[in-house]
Amino acid sequence: MALSPPYSHGLAGSLKVQRRVIGALLRREMLTRYGRHNIGFLWLFVEPMLFTVGVTILWTATKSVHGSDLPIVAFALTGYSSVLLWRNMPGRCIGALQANLALMYHRNIKVIDIYIARLLLEFGGATISFASLTVLFLAIGWITPPDDVLTVFGGWLLIAWFGAALAILLGSLSHISELVDKLWHPFSYLLFPLSGAAFLVAALPQFAQDAVLWIPIVHGVEMVRDGFFGSQARSIYDLGYLIPFNLGLSVAALIALRYVSLRVVPE
Amino acid sequence: MIRVRNLKKVYKTRFGENRVFEDISFDLAMGEKLGILGRNGAGKSTLVRLISGAERPTAGSIEADMSVSWPIAFGGAFQPNLTGLDNIRFISRIYDQDIEANLAFVEDFAELGPYLGEEVRTYSSGMRARLAFAISMIIEFDCFLIDEVGAVGDARFHDRCNYELFRKRADRAMIIISHDASYIRDHCNRFAVLHDGVLVQFNDFDEAYHDFREKIGLERKQRSETVDIADDRRQLIETTHTVSVLDDAFRVTVQDADWKRDEGDWAAAEASYAEALALYPYQRSYWVQRAHMAKEQGEDVRAEIGYRTAIALGEAYADVREHLEFVMRRQGTELADYSAHIYAGDDARRDAPAAPDIALFARGAWGSDTVEDETMLHLLRTSATCDEALAAMLARPVSSGTAGEIAPSTIAQMIAIACPDLDRRAKAELAASEAMRSDPWGALIAAGGFGDWQATQAAIKAPA
Repeated sequence: MALSPPYSHGLAGSLKVQRRVIGALLRREMLTRYGRHNIGFLWLFVEPMLFTVGVTILWTATKSVHGSDLPIVAFALTGYSSVLLWRNMPGRCIGALQANLALMYHRNIKVIDIYIARLLLEFGGATISFASLTVLFLAIGWITPPDDVLTVFGGWLLIAWFGAALAILLGSLSHISELVDKLWHPFSYLLFPLSGAAFLVAALPQFAQDAVLWIPIVHGVEMVRDGFFGSQARSIYDLGYLIPFNLGLSVAALIALRYVSLRVVPE
Repeated sequence: MIRVRNLKKVYKTRFGENRVFEDISFDLAMGEKLGILGRNGAGKSTLVRLISGAERPTAGSIEADMSVSWPIAFGGAFQPNLTGLDNIRFISRIYDQDIEANLAFVEDFAELGPYLGEEVRTYSSGMRARLAFAISMIIEFDCFLIDEVGAVGDARFHDRCNYELFRKRADRAMIIISHDASYIRDHCNRFAVLHDGVLVQFNDFDEAYHDFREKIGLERKQRSETVDIADDRRQLIETTHTVSVLDDAFRVTVQDADWKRDEGDWAAAEASYAEALALYPYQRSYWVQRAHMAKEQGEDVRAEIGYRTAIALGEAYADVREHLEFVMRRQGTELADYSAHIYAGDDARRDAPAAPDIALFARGAWGSDTVEDETMLHLLRTSATCDEALAAMLARPVSSGTAGEIAPSTIAQMIAIACPDLDRRAKAELAASEAMRSDPWGALIAAGGFGDWQATQAAIKAPA
């Protein structure tokens, strides 16, 4: 049978343990959420794909005004995929610790591992969905190839960073006060139209531009669109705002995480 | 070695701070098995959680250069939506273990058969416990934390658990907390009592248990007694069992009596059961135990009192009957002469009297704290109802009785029996009244007590 659980020494050892723990949590999470029935874990990205396709069709059908002559399919694809990316992460992390309190009895599992596993899953699902739909729409000729894939990717990662930091912050705070859970839903619902998913900054009047550019997500979405459309449209974003914002948010998230980790009481 | 130093744990609650313990220190070496005794809520489980690393102390340190388990047989870590198999795989991955070997072990040990492939939420609590214990055994730790391995499965499974833990892993360190003091006595070689945030260590179980009992007893005396008054005698009897087994003082006394019984020390065991019954006089099952102890000593009068009391309080007549017949035959009489009066769950006046009723009546009507065994037995044999017993006692008062200060629990029982028709507030006011302490009988009668007890009323009115 088994030997003593191996002690890990040093950073490399700890990283190995953490990678293993996160891997185990990831599988457990996938099984719990999607099970082994019908298409199983494929739902991970089929679900966001259905959302995005649905919104794309809706926006195309209603010929939504987005203030430019950009192809509506590519507009909806970039916009809605971004929303799914940053909005689902906090949604999955709020209350995650409460649901997994019993895991705290296993000393290798830390609070952050629970969050990381869920964030990886959300990031993976949203990314696979975005990438597959891009390839699919390209194949059937609904969109043209992105102008600069690296910029798309950079913008995408910055949105994910924002979402992950926000998720860990709200996830930790939700363990302290259940108000977080109650307030997140209206907040995320209101933030959606303001997030840049449904408009181009350049198409807004100047005063509105000044206002929406305070919202960090807008910069990320604009960057993704910049990579997608290139010179076809004018994108307005400032990494000098978004990156420091993300850094600050991350610090706040880690402080909250540490506060909760030190006080967590397993059931 | 595990070194616990100056451990302090404080929980912040809405009503201020809850200090579980202030300054706990001890060492635990390989092979040592520390059993911790403590009443409910003393902080035993908190201590185990701190040592397991699941929770952090407010101050102090825990250094361990051995691997420490999670609390054994703790089932909470299961994901109920996952199958038993998936749960085993998960734990195996967390601890970097060979999944296939672990699956084989759990399959063999937990004996869940095809259920292992079903979701854990469909398991019975026994199946969960079996799976939890089996999973606890797949990871080899240096120190095992055992929190309340209660009644897990059947006796055979229990034996196999004990074999896995205490035979195959006899060389490990263990910390055991349990409500079952016998479990601690049988499996530990070091002992400690956790009380009021202080951990006192012992090398000898008897010393530890003695200390534990004393602390519980002292606490009971210090507790300002707020005694609930039952609605009537029936409720008093029906709720006693549940209340008594949750009372640490009752439990340790009974535990002590059980051990003396197991050693064959009948007289000491009877005294301990009597001590426990003094806390809860209407606890029917231990009247049977007490009677058995008297029977073993040939004290047939006391044995018969015990058996008759148990029957009158609702212990199954079929189970007690042969014992009752046995001790009656030894006294040269039989059931045909004095039939058994069986609990009916009826109004007090119409229901069968038991020893604690007679004792209450004696305190009230006779002003006496004691009743001679022969008198007690005679009353139990000849009175079919409490009304008859009390009337008989009024007709033949004893003059030699002496009575000390009346206990609040005695007052509560008297009121429940004599005045079931008063509402709760009136009962509480009566219990708190000065008259009830100085002259309980007068106070009960003045409050309309025993109003519809016909024989009793007739006896009161009869010229002395």
